[in-house]
Amino acid sequence: MNEAGSLSNLRILDFTGELGPYAAKLYAGLGADVIHIEPITGDPLRSIGPFYKNQPGKERSLQFIYYNAGKRGLALNLTMEKGRDVFIELCKGADILFESFTPGYLDGLGLSFDDLSAVNPRLVQTSITPFGSFGPYSKYPGSDLTCSALGGFLYLAGIENEKPVRACDNQAYRMAEVYAAVGSSIAALFAQRTGIGQFVDVSCMESVGMALETAAQCWDLEGVLRRGRGKEAGSATIHPCKDGFIAIVAIMGRNKGMWEPFVQWMKDEGVEEWELFDNDHWIDVAYRESKEAYGMFCHIFERFTMKHTKQYLYDAGQTHRVAVSPVSNGKDLLENPQLIHHDYWKSLYHEPVGGEVICPGAPYVFGNLKWRLGDSVPVFGQHTAEVLGECGYGPDEIEALDKEGVVYVAKS
Amino acid sequence: MLQNLRKALEGIVVCDFSWVGAGPIATNVLGQCGAEVIKIESRNRPDLLRTGGPFKDGIGDGLERSGYFANRNPNKKGIALDMSHPKARAVAVRLIKKSDIIINNFRVGQMEKWKLGWEDVKKINPRIIYVTMSLQGETGPQKSYMGFGVNLNALCGLTARACFPGERPFGTGTNYTDHVMAPSHTLFGIMAALLDREKTGKGQTVAISQLKSAISMAPTSVLAYAANGDTLGPMGLGDPDAAPHGVYTTLGYRKWIAIAAFDENEWRAVKKVMGNPEWAEDEKFSSLKSRKENEEELDVHIEEWTKTRYADWLMNELLHNGVKAGVVNDARGAIEDEHLKQRNFWSYLDHPVVGKTLYNRAPIRLSKTPLRMETAAPLLGQHTSPVLTGMLDYTQEEVNTLIEEKVLV
Repeated sequence: MNEAGSLSNLRILDFTGELGPYAAKLYAGLGADVIHIEPITGDPLRSIGPFYKNQPGKERSLQFIYYNAGKRGLALNLTMEKGRDVFIELCKGADILFESFTPGYLDGLGLSFDDLSAVNPRLVQTSITPFGSFGPYSKYPGSDLTCSALGGFLYLAGIENEKPVRACDNQAYRMAEVYAAVGSSIAALFAQRTGIGQFVDVSCMESVGMALETAAQCWDLEGVLRRGRGKEAGSATIHPCKDGFIAIVAIMGRNKGMWEPFVQWMKDEGVEEWELFDNDHWIDVAYRESKEAYGMFCHIFERFTMKHTKQYLYDAGQTHRVAVSPVSNGKDLLENPQLIHHDYWKSLYHEPVGGEVICPGAPYVFGNLKWRLGDSVPVFGQHTAEVLGECGYGPDEIEALDKEGVVYVAKS
Repeated sequence: MLQNLRKALEGIVVCDFSWVGAGPIATNVLGQCGAEVIKIESRNRPDLLRTGGPFKDGIGDGLERSGYFANRNPNKKGIALDMSHPKARAVAVRLIKKSDIIINNFRVGQMEKWKLGWEDVKKINPRIIYVTMSLQGETGPQKSYMGFGVNLNALCGLTARACFPGERPFGTGTNYTDHVMAPSHTLFGIMAALLDREKTGKGQTVAISQLKSAISMAPTSVLAYAANGDTLGPMGLGDPDAAPHGVYTTLGYRKWIAIAAFDENEWRAVKKVMGNPEWAEDEKFSSLKSRKENEEELDVHIEEWTKTRYADWLMNELLHNGVKAGVVNDARGAIEDEHLKQRNFWSYLDHPVVGKTLYNRAPIRLSKTPLRMETAAPLLGQHTSPVLTGMLDYTQEEVNTLIEEKVLV
């Protein structure tokens, strides 16, 4: 296959579960041939909610649908020798293998990078794990929460002595996945140019290290242990309004040019006591950080915001060149006029649930490459026979492997 | 010995007009992988982050003491080029001819004003990858709406759920979207275009939407609303498939331990490490379902136990018994963490003004083409002469003239 405007010449194996699927999704989105390999017990992500129409079921996990749309699916039992033979056959024709096994597990099965490289020297194997393939924690169990904690990311999501709060959608996993996609693409380009494949080691704990903003340098340069922003008046604060919350950055540092449009906005709206904002002490960071300033800001500003919707405040603030934005929920996003204008949301008909599933669309637009959500989501074992056929297995062999429990072939 | 190893992106040249956050973070990763990144600034228009703290020893004088700037710009070469000068474009054109990638995160129209929009640049170099980054796309009713990372966190849906029930949303406490979501999608977009060029021989445009990149990594709110009409509530510290799952106070100033138990084996292991207390045998805690129903009470019990113990002791005991656990590290904790140290995640690079300061490498370890952490962030214009004479075929006399004419400032 070598279709124009796509990465269809790349074959990607995606042997990941809850941790890992966004990496290969990025390739599937640009037309690469991605085969999602599941253990014979099924991808654990199939059991994670929310489910379509809130009815649990192996083909109903909305996250499984989103992360695996556009991939083909194959179910394989690696604990059987014949399963390992099949895996080797698959690796022979692959450009990139994503896997998220505990470090050492594949080595123990005779499927180490050296073993795989021996059959395909161009193979890029990208391992996505909580702590990476070596180092003192490498064999410890980890989760999104514990990796976010250890890497220093979670600590920032709180102020003063408060406990930190958790971001949604397993961000430590997502960060590792997106960097796994980046690392493997860099290695794949090198492999195309030199014929040399390699092992790419990506860990969640390190990936969250990309999200520390200034925290590491605050310690290294100033001996300060910073926490999150959120209580400096008007600078990255969240405020309630009639139907939810808004975020505002009316000033940063000593940037008076940012503050003036905010004061003008308050004046134009006839906000009670707006004059109190028309004072240079708001330009002083130390003042804004005081409890008094934060309290006064909230008191005046929120009397106004509570009368209006987030959409009104978003439009009115932006018209005044003030960086206001809604704290969006799912409904807000789906109804967001800008995203609708771009026809951003995409849907696919998922046969097992008998309905359309709406998913996020393209993160970027290229001059030549075309992004796609994918036409379908693989049901368990859907493409097992097709993919094995492409690897040279005959129909009888495939049937035998299915009977022995080496693979699972979905019965249509 | 390391010098003999090849670099993954050896020979790739980046003409880097990007500044502040997301753009420089993306080109930072390219540089670490061996690309030659030429960062273009001017004394009349320095990268704004140079004036953003933290500063070495807290002293913010000048343009060379910012750690915020430094950590995004190691391994790059810095040239001073005042694009508002009529003679500057010719220098940029020479660089563009040698480049594989040109990237900017200016407002739409800025590059066109310099006659360096895509239509112009592709005539100069048809193999170039032309990268632009916008907040919300280049067309549409809100195309000119502005925002910082904190705004984008809110807009994309991340902030709403980063919230304790009954409180106002908090978010990540950082400009998260700028630091991870936008640069990582920019990088993947660049690499996809380079892979495509291997087949076609041609460059192309890559236009990143920061908002859409962010939603791609936080899809669940919309998935649930679109499929089920549900608005997902605050996450707090919980996880629908685990209990206990949270952050618990331990001995020490602002010290907590994160614990996550997803199945019965992990819960049994938690109980074992706690010494199998009687309360834990209560019917209320006997299954994941019942622990979720009684989670508040469960968390109170767990915290009673953790608050008289050290976080590192708890972490060791729990990990050795197969429970997912981790100290809630502050930056110092992460910098001094033995695991990250052994993996060379951090490095100290020497800088002419501030000396040796801390940087982190990208979270990708390539076995045969290791990342490099060689040079500190450039001084403004530090490499103007060597880049112009060594790479762009100017003579030193020509460079001197351009400096006198205030082109290279």
